[in-house]
Amino acid sequence: MSEIASPMDSRIYLDHNATTAPSKKVLLNLPRLISEWGNPSSIHFSSRGPKNILRETRRELAEILKCSPLEIIFNSGASEGNNTVLKSVWQKFGLEKNEYIISHVEHPSVLKTAHYLEELGAVVHLIPVSRDGKMDLDFIEKKINPKTALISCMFANNETGTIFPLQQISQIAQKHNVLIHSDCVQAFGKSEINLADLNLDYATFSGHKFYTLKGVGILYVKKNAPYTNLIHGGAQERHRRGGTENILGIASVQLMLGELKYLNQKILTMRTLRDQMEKDILNQIKNVTITAYECDRLPNTSSMVISGVDGETLLMSLDISGFSVSTGAACSSGSPDPSPVLLAMGLSRAEAQNSLRIGLGWETTRDDIEKFIFALIEIVDRIRSVDVNRENYAG
Amino acid sequence: MQDKLIRSKGKVLVAMSGGVDSSVAAAILVEQGYEVIGATMQVWDYSECDITEGNGTCCSSIDVDDARAVADKLNIPFYVLNCEAKFKAHVIDPFINAYLNGQTPLPCVNCNTYLKFDHLIKKMKELGCDYLATGHYAQIQKDTTGESHIVTSTDDWKDQTYFLFTIDPEIIPRLLFPIGHLKKAAVRELAEKKNLLVAKKKDSTGICFVGKAGYDQFINANVSQKILDTKKGLIKKFPTGEVMSSHEGIHHFTIGQGKGLGMTYHEKLFVIRIDSLDNTVWVGEEKYLFSDEVDVIEPHLLADIVDGETLNIKIRYQQQGSLAQILKTETGFKLKFHSPQRAVTPGQAAVFYRNQNILLGGGWIKI
Repeated sequence: MSEIASPMDSRIYLDHNATTAPSKKVLLNLPRLISEWGNPSSIHFSSRGPKNILRETRRELAEILKCSPLEIIFNSGASEGNNTVLKSVWQKFGLEKNEYIISHVEHPSVLKTAHYLEELGAVVHLIPVSRDGKMDLDFIEKKINPKTALISCMFANNETGTIFPLQQISQIAQKHNVLIHSDCVQAFGKSEINLADLNLDYATFSGHKFYTLKGVGILYVKKNAPYTNLIHGGAQERHRRGGTENILGIASVQLMLGELKYLNQKILTMRTLRDQMEKDILNQIKNVTITAYECDRLPNTSSMVISGVDGETLLMSLDISGFSVSTGAACSSGSPDPSPVLLAMGLSRAEAQNSLRIGLGWETTRDDIEKFIFALIEIVDRIRSVDVNRENYAG
Repeated sequence: MQDKLIRSKGKVLVAMSGGVDSSVAAAILVEQGYEVIGATMQVWDYSECDITEGNGTCCSSIDVDDARAVADKLNIPFYVLNCEAKFKAHVIDPFINAYLNGQTPLPCVNCNTYLKFDHLIKKMKELGCDYLATGHYAQIQKDTTGESHIVTSTDDWKDQTYFLFTIDPEIIPRLLFPIGHLKKAAVRELAEKKNLLVAKKKDSTGICFVGKAGYDQFINANVSQKILDTKKGLIKKFPTGEVMSSHEGIHHFTIGQGKGLGMTYHEKLFVIRIDSLDNTVWVGEEKYLFSDEVDVIEPHLLADIVDGETLNIKIRYQQQGSLAQILKTETGFKLKFHSPQRAVTPGQAAVFYRNQNILLGGGWIKI
C-alpha cells in the first residue's frame, strides 16, 4: 500500500464505532471498480457489470444475514434506513396505531425521527437502560398494547457496546403482533447477525462501519412488512428507493463480505486486545470505571469514566499526541454536550463528561494499544495534576 | 535537526474567535515556529438564534466555522470548547443583573477573568502547552529585573489592556499577545497576505452576545416581564427632584446618556445618576456629570502601588486616561483626579497605568 500515502498513516485510530478506514482490499480494487461506471438501469452493454455487482452483493448479503435477496434494499446509509422504517410504519398506521416503543439509547436518526412523528401525533415510550447496560424488558411488556405500531431497539449500542436481548424483544413483539426494527449498524463486522433467528421486520446497516466506502447503506425489510418510499423516483430497488445506485459503494460492500468468513477470528482478536487494554488501564490508572463492564458487549468497544478528567480535554490531548478516540457519539456540531446515551443510562453529568470511548478495529494491534495506554497514563496524570494545583478562584 | 530546533519554541494554545485579530495571531505563531493548537470557546447557545433547525440550516456559529477554516488553512489542530454554562454564569447573568441594578457592566472583563484567562489557562496546562495566546491588542515586556508586565499596544485606539486588569500576575510569563506590537491596519494586511479568509471581516464592535437590536432588547428578551415591570420608575430633574416623566425600566439608561430620554427641555439633559432602590433616573445639565473623586472597590493589582502615588487612570475603554492621585481605602482606593472626569459610571472599571503604559491593575467604580 506504499503507493497510497495517507496523512492518517502515522496516527493510531481507535474510533472505529464512528467510522472505519476503507479496507486495503477496497482501496486496491478501486481502479477496477471505478471502471464499472455504467448505469445499472441502462439496457445497453455498460449496465451489465454494475448490474452484476448489485445482484451478487445482494445475494451474498442475503446469504450472510439469512434472509431473501428481495428483502434487501440499498440506500445511502443507516440514517436513511432508520428514517425510512419509522416513517413507513407511520404511513401505514398513522393515528390508528400511534404508539412507538423505542430504546432510550438509540442513535439520533431513530430518536429524532421518533420525535418528528410525535409532532404528527405519535406517542413515544422510551425503554430505560440501566447504567450497567440492562434494558428494562418489563417496561416493554407494560407499555405494549393494541395501539403499539413498532418496537425499535438497536442490536448493540454505539457508545458502550452493550448488546441488547434482541431475540427476547422480538418474541415480545411477535406475541403482541407488533412490528420490530433494529438498528444493527454497530454489530455488522463485530458480531454474527442472523435475521432468521432474530425474526425482525426491519434491520438497518451501514457500510462505512465495516471498512467499505462511505455512502452506502443496507435496509432489510421483511417480505410484506409495511413500506413506503422515502425517496420516490425511478424503478431502482424494485421501486422501493429512487436514485441511481451507488455502485462503487455497493461493490466495496461486496469485497468486505468476503472478509466476514474470518469474522470469528477477528472478533477473538479484538476481544482479547480490548479485555487486556481494560485490565491494564484499570490496573494503572486510578478511579476508572468501565461502563457496563459486566454486560454482554461488542468485542471492540470500551466506554470508561476516568474520574476527574474532562473527556473533551482528554480527547484533545490524545489527538495532539496522535490518537483518535471519542467522548461519545461523533458530534456534528463540534462542541460536544455530555453524551445523551450515557445520561439516559443514569450516569451523572460529571460522569458523562469524564467519559472516553475507545473503538478497536480489525487492524488494531497490540502495539497500538500499548502505545495508547502509555499516552493515556501520561495525559491523565497531567490533567489530574492541573486540577490539584489550581487555585480555583473562578469557582 | 533544524526542524527540531524550531519546534523547541514551545507549544501554544491560541484562543481563536473567528475574527481577524486572533486569526492573524495564530498565523504569526505558526510562522514563528511554535507548535500551535487553536481553540474556540462556544459561549452562547447558538441553537436559540434566528435560524433554527428545520428552518433551512443548522445553526452552528459562523464565527466558529471561520475560526475552524483559518485553523485548517494553517494546518493546526482546532477544537471547540463548550463554555456555555460558564459564560452564562460569569458573563451573561452578571451583565443582566448589573443593568437591572442601574449599572453599566463590562462583560469583556468577566469573560477575560473567568473564561479566557482562567478556563483557557486550565486547558493550556491540561493540554501540556507552554503558552496561551490571544489576539488582544496588548504587549508583554520584561523589566530590568526580568519580571514580565503587560503594557499597552502600539495601536492606541485598539489597545485592550483596559480589559486585562484582573489577570493573575503569575500567568503573565505564559501569555503571548502576537499582534500587540501591530496596528490594526497592519494586522489586516497580514491577514490578506496570508490569504486568511477573514481578512475582510468587519471589526467586532460592542458586545459579542448582544445583537444589532442593542443591549436593552437583549435584556428584554432574557428577563421575565414580571421582573422588568419592577424596574419601572420616574425620571427626575437633578438636583431639584422635579418629576419630568416616567420610564419603562432603569436598564434602558446609562450615565452620561443624552439621547433617547424622551423629553424636551430648553437645555440638553443627560442621565446623571440611576437610583436602583426606587428606580429613579436623575437627569440634569451636563455640568453635573463631572466629578474629580472616584471610589474604586474590589481592586486587583498586578504590581505594587505606593499610597498617594499619581498614576494614569482610564475609567472607560478607548480613553487615553487622566492623572489621578491614588489613595488606599478600606474597600479599595479613592482616586483624586487632577481634572474633573465626565460621566463616571458605576459598573465600569478604573484601570491604573504607570508611565502611561504599564498595566498595574484596577478596580470597579462605585457610586
